[in-house]
Order: sequence, then structure tokens, then C-alpha cells
Amino acid sequence: MAEDRSLPPRASIPSADNSVWADVSPLLQAACQDLQEGELIHGDNFNLFAAMSALEIMDPKMDSGIACTYYSLDEAIENGVAPVPISADKTTDVRCMIDIMDHLLACEATWHKGHSLAQTVYSCLYLLRPERTSSHALLHSYCKVIRATCKAILSVVSEARTHEEEDLFTMAYGLPLSGNGDEKCLSMLNAVEETISRQLRACKASSSKRRVSEDVEPLQNNPDLEEGYCKALLCRLRFRKHFYHLLMSMKRPQGRGLELARKHIASCISEIDYIRKSSEFLRANAHGMSEQNIDNTTASGCQPIGFDASLNCRLSAPTPPRSIKILSLEKALEYFMKLLQDLDVICSYSLDPSLEAALLFVIKFQKSQPDLVARAHLQLLLVQDGKLYGRDPMFSMITRAAGLPEVTENHDIQKNEFMVQLGQLVINLLKILCTNAAWQRRKLGKMLQDWRVTYVQLEMAFKGEFAEASKTSNNKKICFKIYQHILAWVEEQTYWIAFRFLNLGFELELYSVHDYCMVYWYIYVVLIKLAEKKHLRMAMSSDSAKKKTKKKRDSFKDGEMDYQIPAAVLFLQSQIYLAEGLSMMFAALRNERRIVPLQSPFNTEHEIFIQQFELLQKACVPDHISYVTFKESTMHANFSTLAICDHFKEAQKIAKEVKSSFANDPDTMAELRRVEQVAERNSIALNVCRAGALDPKLKTFFTFCHHPFYATAIVKRS
Amino acid sequence: MDRDEAETMENVEFDASEIEYVSYGGEHHLPLVMNLVDQELSEPYSIFTYRYFVYLWPQLSFLAFHKGKCVGTVVCKMGEHRNTFRGYIAMLVVIKPYRGRGIATELVTRSIKVMMESGCEEVTLEAEVTNKGALALYGRLGFIRAKRLFHYYLNGVDAFRLKLLFPRSELHPSLPMMADKYESHMQSDHGDAPFKE
Repeated sequence: MAEDRSLPPRASIPSADNSVWADVSPLLQAACQDLQEGELIHGDNFNLFAAMSALEIMDPKMDSGIACTYYSLDEAIENGVAPVPISADKTTDVRCMIDIMDHLLACEATWHKGHSLAQTVYSCLYLLRPERTSSHALLHSYCKVIRATCKAILSVVSEARTHEEEDLFTMAYGLPLSGNGDEKCLSMLNAVEETISRQLRACKASSSKRRVSEDVEPLQNNPDLEEGYCKALLCRLRFRKHFYHLLMSMKRPQGRGLELARKHIASCISEIDYIRKSSEFLRANAHGMSEQNIDNTTASGCQPIGFDASLNCRLSAPTPPRSIKILSLEKALEYFMKLLQDLDVICSYSLDPSLEAALLFVIKFQKSQPDLVARAHLQLLLVQDGKLYGRDPMFSMITRAAGLPEVTENHDIQKNEFMVQLGQLVINLLKILCTNAAWQRRKLGKMLQDWRVTYVQLEMAFKGEFAEASKTSNNKKICFKIYQHILAWVEEQTYWIAFRFLNLGFELELYSVHDYCMVYWYIYVVLIKLAEKKHLRMAMSSDSAKKKTKKKRDSFKDGEMDYQIPAAVLFLQSQIYLAEGLSMMFAALRNERRIVPLQSPFNTEHEIFIQQFELLQKACVPDHISYVTFKESTMHANFSTLAICDHFKEAQKIAKEVKSSFANDPDTMAELRRVEQVAERNSIALNVCRAGALDPKLKTFFTFCHHPFYATAIVKRS
Repeated sequence: MDRDEAETMENVEFDASEIEYVSYGGEHHLPLVMNLVDQELSEPYSIFTYRYFVYLWPQLSFLAFHKGKCVGTVVCKMGEHRNTFRGYIAMLVVIKPYRGRGIATELVTRSIKVMMESGCEEVTLEAEVTNKGALALYGRLGFIRAKRLFHYYLNGVDAFRLKLLFPRSELHPSLPMMADKYESHMQSDHGDAPFKE
């Protein structure tokens, strides 16, 4: 090798029979001097846009060949970067093994957070040649389970295919995700665990001065450290074992493994606690190489052996090198705790065969801001083989949600192409709701048009089928009812999607203060439609139920039922008043010049309205709503009239009244409490604004401390 | 990616009239743009990236000079994008000692005017959600936050896609007056806007 290095580079490519290498540097230099300023010589198909992806040699930000360690895996191995055994001294070997385990965990968390596998987990050179580690049972078994775990998680994220962020996540660049026999990683891990367990028992027996009946070779040579090292290894091995079991349990179809998964989650959490406890021991025995640093990726604080992030970077580079900061061990453990807690929430779900319950569960789950891996698991649980939880056909879920009796579940109408299309829309909705909030909002906005088109198509099919009113039959009547109910439900669902789309804008911080007036106004008009459609749907369901039980009721009760507005609709009504109140308050602040209006030199409020609600307008959600409608509604708002018809007081009153109906629903109760709080405070603020109309020192601020998207107004003297 | 703190100078004192704004004028300006951008932004751009923008749309790039020293630049492009003629702000840099003095706003305003006069229907760019200076600057010019892009930058930070929609058909009659009024009341600003396609 040294001899090769000394040879001139040009000699490495021999001249062909009819050609000889020649140095054309002077010719190139002369030719370049003849070029005009800014002139490029290029082929006919060259274009500058494509060239933007080019790398630039010798630029540190782009050239992955600069100032790096090794140029190939073989070279790194030959130079002892990843030795097997890690050390000839057993104590050192064990200590370094634990460092490798810790750093791999930190790399794994960093990978889950959105960086590439090649530059995180597979920066470990021990993983890249599976057969190399076979003589070191502990290292070999650990590498096997790491590869198997990465493969399992890749499979979940790839299968969920959320199209949001997993491109980098799932890029494997030909890395060895399966070594030979990795599928048996658990049996080997169990064997190693058993060995270390026996070693732990032996050293404990030894320390209590009882005779050692077993002939157990110790883990390493220092008896004083034996117990500490055994425990430190065992909790790390057991975490791996239970984590892999967890993934396999959750993989079982139709949620059959969820109960077992919860047990493994509890075990993982327990082992993480032991991993944390082992830190003090490991730091104390780090041989002075340790640093007390919050960024440490190992419990001991030592740099781990066997990692080189730049190798894979170079092997796989069509992209510039990115310096990745590997999470600290503490941050990695926090990440895994969060992941385990999120997976536990998923495993605790009851798999209620109700579309509404599933939608509510996803919304609630997303509030805890789960990461990609947890969200992918939820999506696969909800939708398998086009069925809810892999077992409940989507059409029967739709009929149930639409308030239709169970006998309609198997009706032939589900073969209608628009019904099939509707089923697909529901599947897409469930999947989209499992994505990150940013992607979710974009997709919800776009799917509104699909829902609208499907509604129109179903409506046309409905009218076409029942144009001949003269014909009647039992099946005809059932079809009529099915269409009616489903059409009402589709409209309600469309407005529900629109409502969520608008709310997510607050979570994502897409609105500026100057947008709030129009956003709350639009929420107000969408909520009116949502309440209207929900009321219609519930009334139809109520009628269906009433006909079945009419013989059991007297006329008085029937009459009473007709006049009751459902609690769910009243809940929406309180929000309608709240949104309207907020919109009018912002309008009054603008009209009375207490908020400085935005004045762009390039466009007006009209263009902002168009942009903010473009996707809803295209979907006619709702119909006949435009900027002009918005201006007409708000241009005369002032504090004198607002105080007279106080929308906030109305909202507060309804929220208070409707609470008793949701005694068994803690989530809705909590939401009503929040609505009530915002309404109460805003009503007070409204009165202060009116009373202080002539006081220029009064300023109005808005905060979201009581509700994630209904603002609370605060009036202060500045 | 933390930006270099190479500039330890305090803010430079100067009159706004001392800043000279120049449209991109040729190859002699290219190294100035490259040095500014490379110095301030963490994303790596090859020379072909710069050539792509300034060769095809030289009229959309501007440089700001103070006493012969280049202290800021904006680089843009425009073209058809899904049935919309769209302008795009690719890079905006003002070096630290000159920030907060309206230079970035002036650079961007000039390029937007050219894009508007060239028939663009809208202008877009991406900015880090944490870049308050840029968000304030573009917000004042009428950009809305059209989208949030999850983990857009490889350091894990999200981006906002900012959009400015021009009025349809012709300008509103009141706009020229607003523009004049606005320019006489320019406020503080600064910021930079790395781009991704």
C-alpha cells in the first residue's frame, strides 16, 4: 500500500494503445482567458437549475472528502478504529462496550428525530460488517438486536408512508439492515443476558462469603467492579429485549398485541431508570478520561470506540455533508421515555368501533405532540387493509356515524363508486390526522375539495336514482334513507375538517394579529354551518330511533323531544358566539383605531383574505362567502353596540348550561370550562373597552393562556 | 447552525442617504454576493447556484454599498409555477454592523417592485420560524405565513413559507399613494432568508 501511494497519480490509469495522456492545463488556462466576462462553455443539454445540486470540491460545507479520517471501511478497520475484542483487558472491554451501547442509543434517538440512519446509528462501524463481531458474544448479540430494531422501525415508518418527513428517515443507502441470523437476535441476546445474570449472582454470593457452588467465569477481572458492571450491562440488554418485543407486539394485526406491548413498555421504562442509576458507577470508573459535560452521549462521559460518522457520509454522498449533533444520553433517554409513554397511550386505546371516537382519539393524541415513530404506529393501528383497526369495514363505520341502523351495514349500495370513493376519503382523513401538524393542515386544506366533489356526486346519484317518485319498494325506501343520512354526514364532516384546518393555523402560528379578525369571522361562519349540519344529522337519527320506539312513548314525551336542541349542538353554539364576539371585538378595535392597521405598500387586506382562505373558497366551504361578506359584517362594529349584544355573555351562559350534559365526558367538560373562562374574561374586557373609549392609554393585548385558539383579551393602561 | 460571530464591530453609524443601491451589474458583482451569502448563511451553495439566479434574472438582484463596501444583497428569480407567475426571494443578507437600519427592507422592496412590474402575481420565500427579524420585515410588506414546513432545514428547524399576493388585474388606485407614504415612514428591519427548492 505504501508503495502504491508513492507512485504518481497519472500512472494509475494506463494509456490505451492509440492514446497518450497529456497535460492540458496550459491550454485550458489560455482558453479561459479568451472567454468573455460571465460566459460559460457547456453542452447543449446543460442547464443552470440542474447544476444547483452540484457539489464544490474544497468547499468545507460541501466537499465530504475534506479533512476526514478514512476513505473506506476497510481502511478504518485496518487502522483499528473498531477492534474486536474492543480491548484485550476484560475490564476495559466491558467499560467500552457499555459506552458503545450508550452512544448507539443516543444515535438511535437522533435518527428518530429526523436525521439519517447512515450518519447516526450506522456510524457505528461494528454494524457495517455483521460477521466481524461473531467472536464477541456480547457485542455481536447487541449489534444484531440493534439492526433488527432499526429494520422493524423502518418497516413501520415506511408502511405508514405519511409522506411528511420520512424520506431522510427511511433512506438506508444499502446499509446492512439484516445480518445473517438477525431474526434470531433475541435468542442470542437471551443467552448473553443469562450468562451475565449468573455472573451477577456469582459475585453477590462471593461478596457474602458463601461458597460458590457454580463454576462461573467472572465478567471481568476486578471483583470490586463486577456487580456494578453486571448491572449496567443487564439493564441495557433488557431494555433492548423489551423494546424489540414491544415493536413485535404492536405489529400484530387488529391490535391483538397491545396488552402484551403495554407490559413491555412498563419493563422498558423500568430499565431506563436502572440505566440512569448506573451513571454514577460508570463515571467513577472512567479512568480519568471522563468529562462532566451535558452533551455526553455515554454515561461514563468517555468518547465511544468504533464510530465514524464521516465514512457513510462519504460513501453515500450525492448530498453535501451535514454536521449532525448527536443527542446527549440524557436527551436520548428523555426521547425514549416520551416515545414509550406515547406508545402506551396508543396501546391503551379501546379500539371503539366508532369513526367519531377514532377521530377524537387521534385529535387528543396529537395534543401531546408525539414524534414520527409513535404517529406511524397509531396510523397502522387505525387503518389496516382499508378497515378501521383492520377489522371494521369503512362503509359500516360510515353508516354508523351517519346514524343509520345496523341493518344497513351490508347493503349493496356500498358498491356504488361514490360510496367506495367516500370510504377512501375517510381512510385518507384518518391517515392525514396522524401526521405532523404542518403537513396535516396542508392536506386537510386540499382534501376539502375532494369531500365537496364527493358530496356533489353522491347528491347527483341520489337525485338520479329517485327521480321516478312513482315507484316505491322496500329496498328503494332503504336506499333513500341511506343516501339522506350519508349526505348529511358528509356535509357535517366537511365542515369539521374546515374547522380543524382553521384551528391548526393557530397551533402552527400562521396568523398574525392583523389576521385574527378575518380568521375568527371565518371560524364563526364555518361553525354555524357545522352546527346546522350536525343538528340536521342528529335530528334524522332521532327520527329513525323514534319510529322504532313510538309505541313505547306517549305524545307528551314525543313533543318534548322535538324541542330539545342536542347538547353537542349547543356546545358548538357557545363557540359560535365566542368566535363572533372575537371577530367583532377585533373589528371594533380596528374601526375605532385602537389597533394600528397593517399597511403594506404592495397589497391590501383583500389579498390577505384571498390567501388565508383560498382552499376553503375553492371548495365552496361555505357557499356564498367572500371578502365582501366579511367587510359588510365587520365594517360597522363598535364597542357601544357590542356591549349591548354581548356575544361573550351568551357564550358563557350556554357553556354553563350545557355542562351537565357532558358529566361523563371529561374532555368536553374541560373544553367547556376553557370556553367559559375565555368568554367571561373577554366580556369584562369588552366593557372596559367601552367605558374607556376616550382613554388613549388603554391598550388591548391578546393571549392564548386559557385556550389554544380562542384568544383572551387583556386591557391594560400603558 | 449558529452563524459566525466573525463580525465583532459595533453597528456602523451612517445616514440612510449614504447607502447606494445597485442592480446586479455583471461578473464583478458575483464574488461580492457569494462572499456575503456564504458568510452569513449556513446552507452550502455551489457557484452554479449563484450563476443560476444572477444569469437568468440579473434585474432581480440588488446590492447595497456603503462607501464602496458591499454590505447587503438580495437575490431573486421569477417564473411559471403551477399556473401562477411567481417571484421568489432566494437569498437576503445584510452584514451585522449594518442591520436594523432599513437596508434589507429597501433591498427587498426594490426587487419586489421589479417582480410586480414584470407581471408576477405573487412572491414567495421560506424563512426559519425562529427568525423574528425576517418575519417582521416580510410581515410589514404584506406577506402572510401560508404554510409551515416541518423540519424544513436539516438542523431540524421548521420554516414558514411566506407569500405576498399582488392585487389582480391592475393596481388599486390607492396603492401608489400608500407606497409613497410607506417609504417616508420606514421602520427598523433586518433579516436573512435562505431558500430551498
